[in-house]
Amino acid sequence: MANFDESAILKRVFSYILLIALAVVILAPFFIGIWASFLPTMDIAKGDLFSTNVSFNNYVSAFTKTPILRYLANTVVIATVTMFAQLIFCSMSAYAFVFLKFKYQKTIFSLFLITMMLPFEAEIIPNFATIKSMGLLDNYAALIIPFLTSAFGTFMLRQSFMQTPAELKEASDIEGLNHFQFYWHIVLPYNKISMITLGAYSFLGAWNQYLWPMLTTFSNNSRVIQNGLKQLQSEETFNDWGMIQASAAIIVIPTIIVLFVGQHYFKSGMNEGAVK
Amino acid sequence: MLKTSTTDVVPEKKVQAKQRQGFKLNAKDKYYASIFLGPSLLILGLFVFYPMIKTLYISMFLTNTLGNTTVFVGLGNYVKLISAPDFISSMMVTILYVVAVTILTIALGLLLANLASQKLPGISIFRTLYSVTMGVSVSVAAIFWLFIFNPSTGFFALMSGWFNLPVVNWLTSPANAMWAVIITTVWMNLGFTFLILLGAIESVPRTLYEAADVEGVSSRYQFFHITIPMISPTLFFVSTITIIGAFKSFGLIDLITKGGPTNATNMLVYRIYKDAFYSGNYAKSSTEAIILTVIIAFFTLLQFKFLEKKVNY
Amino acid sequence: MSKLKKYAMPLVIVLGVILVAIFGKAISAKSAVNDNRTPIVFWHEMGGPSEQALEQVVDGFNKSQTKYKVIPKYQGSYDEAIQKILQTHGTSTSPAVFQAFDISTAQMLHSGYTTPVQNFIDADHYDVSKISSVARSFYSNGGKQQAMPFNTSQPVLYYNASLLKKYGITPPPVSPSYSDITRVAQQIYEKSGHKVKGMTVQVYGWFIEQALANAGTQLANNNDGHTGNPTEVKLNNPDSVEFLKWIKENIKSNDFIDYGSGASAGANQTAGFLSDKVGIFIQSSASIGDLIKNNKNQLGITYFPHPDNKKANGVAIGGAALWISNDKPKNVQQGAFEFIKYALKPEVQAQWQKATGYLALNKDSQKTQTLKDLYAKSPESKVPGQQLATAKANYSNSGILMEGMQLTRQLEEVAMETVYNGGDIDHALTTADKDINDNLTQLNKANGYK
Repeated sequence: MANFDESAILKRVFSYILLIALAVVILAPFFIGIWASFLPTMDIAKGDLFSTNVSFNNYVSAFTKTPILRYLANTVVIATVTMFAQLIFCSMSAYAFVFLKFKYQKTIFSLFLITMMLPFEAEIIPNFATIKSMGLLDNYAALIIPFLTSAFGTFMLRQSFMQTPAELKEASDIEGLNHFQFYWHIVLPYNKISMITLGAYSFLGAWNQYLWPMLTTFSNNSRVIQNGLKQLQSEETFNDWGMIQASAAIIVIPTIIVLFVGQHYFKSGMNEGAVK
Repeated sequence: MLKTSTTDVVPEKKVQAKQRQGFKLNAKDKYYASIFLGPSLLILGLFVFYPMIKTLYISMFLTNTLGNTTVFVGLGNYVKLISAPDFISSMMVTILYVVAVTILTIALGLLLANLASQKLPGISIFRTLYSVTMGVSVSVAAIFWLFIFNPSTGFFALMSGWFNLPVVNWLTSPANAMWAVIITTVWMNLGFTFLILLGAIESVPRTLYEAADVEGVSSRYQFFHITIPMISPTLFFVSTITIIGAFKSFGLIDLITKGGPTNATNMLVYRIYKDAFYSGNYAKSSTEAIILTVIIAFFTLLQFKFLEKKVNY
Repeated sequence: MSKLKKYAMPLVIVLGVILVAIFGKAISAKSAVNDNRTPIVFWHEMGGPSEQALEQVVDGFNKSQTKYKVIPKYQGSYDEAIQKILQTHGTSTSPAVFQAFDISTAQMLHSGYTTPVQNFIDADHYDVSKISSVARSFYSNGGKQQAMPFNTSQPVLYYNASLLKKYGITPPPVSPSYSDITRVAQQIYEKSGHKVKGMTVQVYGWFIEQALANAGTQLANNNDGHTGNPTEVKLNNPDSVEFLKWIKENIKSNDFIDYGSGASAGANQTAGFLSDKVGIFIQSSASIGDLIKNNKNQLGITYFPHPDNKKANGVAIGGAALWISNDKPKNVQQGAFEFIKYALKPEVQAQWQKATGYLALNKDSQKTQTLKDLYAKSPESKVPGQQLATAKANYSNSGILMEGMQLTRQLEEVAMETVYNGGDIDHALTTADKDINDNLTQLNKANGYK
């Protein structure tokens, strides 16, 4: 790096140009969308993207005229509960596969693997009927209960748990810890990184649910943000583009902040769990 | 292989399943197993296994206006479906979409990851920027891109105006609408793919590159003969994930094209939804669902087969 | 890695949940004002600006009431709502009164899930003669009013009157033929130096059905299902061909722009019209409010165009009706009917037309100051109502009473798109016929209809 010969500098300049150009392309949709969110819809409709009538009006109307806050709140609750539930249930079943020895263990593990081959999208009709017969339509529970656990999460945590040093188990046996104590006090803290990764993964997964909430929610009391945005676009009438873009911006900014903060975990954790 | 976590610090002795064969079955474990596994098994049974069987059952009947099964037709729905030209074209469209999305996602992800793996001042800013689409949900992506594709006020339309080019009908011509959906999907996938590939590239031992530099090997050669082979497991993993994800695409289609124009983007999952929850033909929808399951199962198995080599269970 | 960074994500999440707890409470507190009025759950599909107008109707009703309280709940598009209504019937989620669109009428009838509005009309001695008969006949069967038409629209043709004036183009007559429109469209395109496209017709099955209605042709047998359950559909008929030929002619002479199908197509063509990208388009009269409010140009409106060799038979209404579910207790159903009565009051309907462009169905609405002011301000907004009033109801223009209409529309749209993209008209229509009839046969078999 200390060697500043011409070609190295040229190469570096070229790298930066390429890096910047790609960043611009990737970020362009954000910038265009967010810029539009500050413009009056009429200017947008006329194609006047360089209008100078910049204001926060669209944001004000998104917050006051639409139930976007309610949608956000619903989604955060559902995604948070789903995340904690998956952390608990996936880690429990992963624990059973790694630290317990029982009959049909292999068979049950294969069952878990098989569930990863069965797409939820193919099962919406009977699942709708099940939720209906449980009386949970249009309820947070409808969006949470089917996703309390996940085969992928179990599989991922199992891979991680298997790396737990045997000494820890031996030591805890000597200490006289039972399985619950060993699970809670040793295994979970030891596999913190994998747990955080699964947490982020299941949170984002729940956050991005689209089809299932669309089928099972019927009012703003339980409607989630992904479906809510669609509601802002009307059927036969005119679209308030400015406000729609403002709503999109309102939703995307928090997730991006969460992501930037959690990025480090996510990258290392995903690689961990995924390819071992 | 990719070790970035604290597990590195701990010495080799690990609890491997195979080493643990010696553990004896004991009654206590059985009790614990039922507690630890019970909840998950219950949920999976109720919301994965049962509905799969039920879907298979429905697919062998006709269903009436209220969605109840009425006339048993055996495999009749399947025969009808695979001989229907519109279903065949739907499958072709789905496959085209999956292939295009996968190739573009991986190629662009690799390009970005390779660029961002350079040791340059300020590179971490670019890493953050490149992963930004991971925080974008389907609805937001659709709204941003719909605005860009809009034929009269969209950004692309404006741009063609500046350069006096003809306006491309992104959403109304069948071929272009497909590309509109592909572009949006790839854009959404990019952040995640980039991040994983970057992690993989960073874990390639530096010594390999240093040795190559000493030999005077070009960086292009290094990329294809060191980087690619070294990260091939991750590449494979990302590809299967992308393929499976693309087969299950729904939200973007619902928001951008609704399966049109001329069914040009009417992909499998969208059909499943539309046939059931628009048209009320639950039997047809179930038949399509079973076909989707077969496809997803195939690619998941492929992934397992590969993981099997890497993982012991 | 710093400690701060480590805890930031969980912190953000926890903060989020706390925020939710606060907001969630505030919101639910607002809706749970403790009154002991009977709640009437109302499902509707009005999105965007129409939703706001509908909420005004509901607010008005609730303020006028001590016994009932209507709770409106949006259900997405018309298409999505039908299966939601059928599949939630009998659960606590299901609505007491719901809005279902024109083409689902047969499904709703056959489901047996609704109480005919006629029962309440008879019990209350409610005078229905004030309500537009064309609209009423669409939703009656066996001499009984099954549902009450609510938001009723007419397909009309909009043109940019300022543009025509600028280029000295003679406007089309109020009931134009296809060739009248072609002439204007071509002139717009030529005289604007190819800057403005002449016309567009959205890929929307509703329009081809209306073209048939206006030509006096039936799509399904048994008089479009009005005298028996249909067993056969014939989309490939001379009048469909005529309609598509007309569009194709304009595509060939380059004065046509295609905005595709679906909700975004509708929005895009409106945007294109407002920004002088296209001079003529066909759309529901429900768009009129936006087209007047947001338009710097003078708006022109005509009836739906008719074939050159035929007189206009009049088009069927579009929009939706209000139905009462029979899975709710008697008093709730009565409350639902009270709401329907309120929604059809002259002043409410007038206000509704002014806000949305859907036509006021109560004849007395025309006498209200609201509509008089509206017509004085923009005389063209009278046109859709006139079109409705001129049409004489017959089997061809009273809608198609057939199940499976949603799929039928999709297939019609596929045929239209095929033609728009250069496909052969006869082939496209024959394919559509085959698919529609296949589906119809299977549907009749599954339901045991003869």
